[in-house]
Amino acid sequence: MKTVQKVVNPVRRAGEQSPAGIYDENLKVRKRREWRGVKDTFYDYTRWLYLVSVLAKFIAVPRNIKGFFRYRWMMSYLFVMHGMDKFTIGLRDEALRIAHTSFNFVIADVTQAIANCFRGDRRVGNDKKYSDACVITDENSMVTFMMGFDTNKVHTILREVPTMFASNIFHQFNVMHYLDIAQQYGIPGDVCPMPEAEAGISIEDDFCVLGSCAVQNNTTCDGSLMGNGIIAKRLEREYGIPTFQLATPLRHKEPDVLDYAAEEIKKAIAFVEEHTGVKWDWDIYFNAAKRVNDATRCRIAQMEINSTPYPQFFGAAFSLYNDTNYMGNSGRNADFVTIDHKLLELAEKGYQAKRMYAKEYRHRCIVWGVQPQYVIDMLYWMVQCWGVVPLTDMLSVINTDMIADEDTPENREQAYRDMAMLNMEMIMRNHTHGGYKVLLDDLWDLCEKMNADIVMMWEHMSCKALTGMHGMFEEQARERGIHIMWVSHDLCDPRVFTRQAIRDQVNSYMRTVMREEPLDPALEIIPDNEAY
Amino acid sequence: MSKIARTAGKVLLGIVAAALSFFIVTFTIYFFNLDMKATAMLEPFFEKWYDKLERRQYI
Amino acid sequence: MRDLKYLKYFEDLLQQANNELVEQAKAEGKVCVAYTCENVPEPLLNLDRAVSVRLSAPNTGSLDIATYYMTNLLCEPSRALLERAIEGGFNFADCVITPDGCTMMNRAVENMELLKTMGKNNPNFFHEYMEIAFKNTENDVNLAVLQCTNHILNPLREKYGIDVSDAAIRKSVEDHNRLCRLVRELGEFRKEAKPRITGYEFHVFCLATYMCPKYLVEEKLAETIEEVRNREPDDKPWRARVLVVGSEVDDSGLIKLIEEQGAFVCCDRFCFGSYPGRTEIVLNDDEDALTQVCRHYITNCQCPRMMSMDKVYGRKKYVADLAKEYGADGIIYQQVKFCDPWAYERTLGSAMLQADYGYPVLSVDRPYNVSSSVGQMRTRVQAFVESIEIKTIQKGGRS
Repeated sequence: MKTVQKVVNPVRRAGEQSPAGIYDENLKVRKRREWRGVKDTFYDYTRWLYLVSVLAKFIAVPRNIKGFFRYRWMMSYLFVMHGMDKFTIGLRDEALRIAHTSFNFVIADVTQAIANCFRGDRRVGNDKKYSDACVITDENSMVTFMMGFDTNKVHTILREVPTMFASNIFHQFNVMHYLDIAQQYGIPGDVCPMPEAEAGISIEDDFCVLGSCAVQNNTTCDGSLMGNGIIAKRLEREYGIPTFQLATPLRHKEPDVLDYAAEEIKKAIAFVEEHTGVKWDWDIYFNAAKRVNDATRCRIAQMEINSTPYPQFFGAAFSLYNDTNYMGNSGRNADFVTIDHKLLELAEKGYQAKRMYAKEYRHRCIVWGVQPQYVIDMLYWMVQCWGVVPLTDMLSVINTDMIADEDTPENREQAYRDMAMLNMEMIMRNHTHGGYKVLLDDLWDLCEKMNADIVMMWEHMSCKALTGMHGMFEEQARERGIHIMWVSHDLCDPRVFTRQAIRDQVNSYMRTVMREEPLDPALEIIPDNEAY
Repeated sequence: MSKIARTAGKVLLGIVAAALSFFIVTFTIYFFNLDMKATAMLEPFFEKWYDKLERRQYI
Repeated sequence: MRDLKYLKYFEDLLQQANNELVEQAKAEGKVCVAYTCENVPEPLLNLDRAVSVRLSAPNTGSLDIATYYMTNLLCEPSRALLERAIEGGFNFADCVITPDGCTMMNRAVENMELLKTMGKNNPNFFHEYMEIAFKNTENDVNLAVLQCTNHILNPLREKYGIDVSDAAIRKSVEDHNRLCRLVRELGEFRKEAKPRITGYEFHVFCLATYMCPKYLVEEKLAETIEEVRNREPDDKPWRARVLVVGSEVDDSGLIKLIEEQGAFVCCDRFCFGSYPGRTEIVLNDDEDALTQVCRHYITNCQCPRMMSMDKVYGRKKYVADLAKEYGADGIIYQQVKFCDPWAYERTLGSAMLQADYGYPVLSVDRPYNVSSSVGQMRTRVQAFVESIEIKTIQKGGRS
């Protein structure tokens, strides 16, 4: 089997040595916050203050309070700080700053998204003029088709992000209610719980209702595609919001689907123009394209650092930030550029100082598959408890090609293909769909490039595209001498696998197969199954 | 010391005292996670509230 | 009613994918094109010397090996196919053409390819994967034309020298239409108040047209129609007439089970059934045949994977229209467990058929082989039949 050289951290961690002391099984939140030494605790405290100010600003708007009392999922946002604690478990120095910089920026973005939803929502703010300028789209949408619209004139509302995706990170139980509703109406329990929960939210009438139109797509999976029909029916028939289904080919590596996909992008743009009355602007598009390329360059640089013995930006923050930037932003918001560079600067600084997240790095790991939302701190736990450093996760392994960013007549035609390519290569589906090569071969290439000896395979039990290759992963890993550690979960339903049940799969693999003892035994069992 | 200087000193002291009090209170809340503990206590009431709301469940 | 002359013969043909007619076609030098999804235009798989054979795995027992490769979380049909492929049950195939329709079936075939389950002694053997259309637009027709050209016609011509000309396609469509007319004619008898054919019998004949070379079943099908025309129907009335909608039904035992509870399966709207699978393709001389075939498949497609809302609503109307045409008292929406597309379609369909069209609906999931869950299914159908009877009595109908 492949082995990698152990890297030992010569520096003793500031503050308390193990974060295990902050958990209490009788509490649904942490007992206290972590003591990270004076400098880092103070930094963490100031970031906490910043988040308090973001939330205070949000709640100071009366319509947001009204929205809070209308929508059940808003309860999750009572626990944003609890989410912050998950994203920073055991972190110090640059790692802590990277996590806060990315996480806090995403939180500010999500908070703004909720405020926008409430402003236009017919039940809450009912700002009709604003609502008419809104286009709602799916949580799993690449918003490339909005890259050429003036963000001051047309507002892209990824309605399902605050409602389902982000809220589940703060509160592990909040989705269960919507899953129950969906199943009560006949959707079986064996489909992916994410689109199922979204269908449940629609059935429960717990989505904000706004927008001049909606664009849906089939970017993730059969379940996601099918759930859209239920949501669109309510949008169209009850609320009179016309929907457009943006078809995105699955076999995205085949050149013979590109023209089709580009044509679909054109149609989506025409649909938005028709319903909002705002025209596509090529200047805006190519500026956004420049930002997309800039973000790509930064991401490539981050991955290069992660290929070294001292990876810097990984785990939950890396994944969440990439999702938001690549998919939900797609170059439209210039603020991401500043954050991208700040994050890269921090990572470079950390790399030069040889900063480490744990006492030792024993194994270099590629995290493949789809991570569960409700145990978002898992990868930080894994490196600190077992010294298994997650170099990257599958969702962050996304496009590395540059797109046309100069406005020329040829590039305008190319732009549709670029948008189509990005759309097809959306996070997750760029590996889960498009043939087995992008799922299997890409993984082994990555193991080679990043010098990984272990693959942590998130086996999302309702993700048929992943589980359908289970045996092949095993066989091919064996042929290559790579350890493969299966960790099963059900994405956002903690009733199927609790947090500790998920961690126990790693514990048992590390003890029985790798015959190792934990770096931090106090972390092996954490009493947080009942915590939010 | 002039009156102005004394007043300025008092104001400065007041600012420092206020900042210090702010720090002590907020840092205590922060460190002992009192913010989350308080919201966790509220959660059951909100659950009941949302359960009581009338919604048109429909597919 | 008296047994149909060829029923047993056709039942036997359905017992394995490599049945005697497939063997006969191979012996006659035909190229066996295996496929797994109704979205692949069948006439294009039956050009010249090529004959299509839809892969199925009847009488599936243990799925142990396939479950190792695909886990027990994937639908049984996909695992059953992989298991059968590993066992060598599909060695007759000269190629496999698979659309990336539903993820699970696609993964099953990818596993077959990676495990090299077929084509060991055939250097020309190939696997092709197709993108299939999502909506009913000309852009989708263009996609289908390109996909069929690149993944069906070109490989068949290059590897096996199959004639893929416009004339060959037109000839194949003619043959296809002849078969469709026979199947539909047989199915028409189900409209009668005292039907001269049972839903089970019809299902056996219809399914065989997908699983056997078509030119070898035509004659017997025509003979059966004449036999049914002269058949004396039973006097005993059925308790209810139901339309079955949903995932593929490879196990005719399901239809038999429903009919054993007194519910006559008057119409079928499932994958590899007669609706829409046995709809004639009308060609004109103004446009090339390939484009017209592709347009036919897209326009008539009732696959839940078609995502535009005209299709979403249209599928329910299609079911309601069929129910009306065939005089159904109720609708059974069924799906194979773990099938994502039909899981959602069943939910929305059963809600809309009740609310918008006023039909009683039984919404149920089931295993691939119904024999492993007979008791549960029987209870569900019995209760459904009783509920239909009660509703009929309440409306002042027959008691």
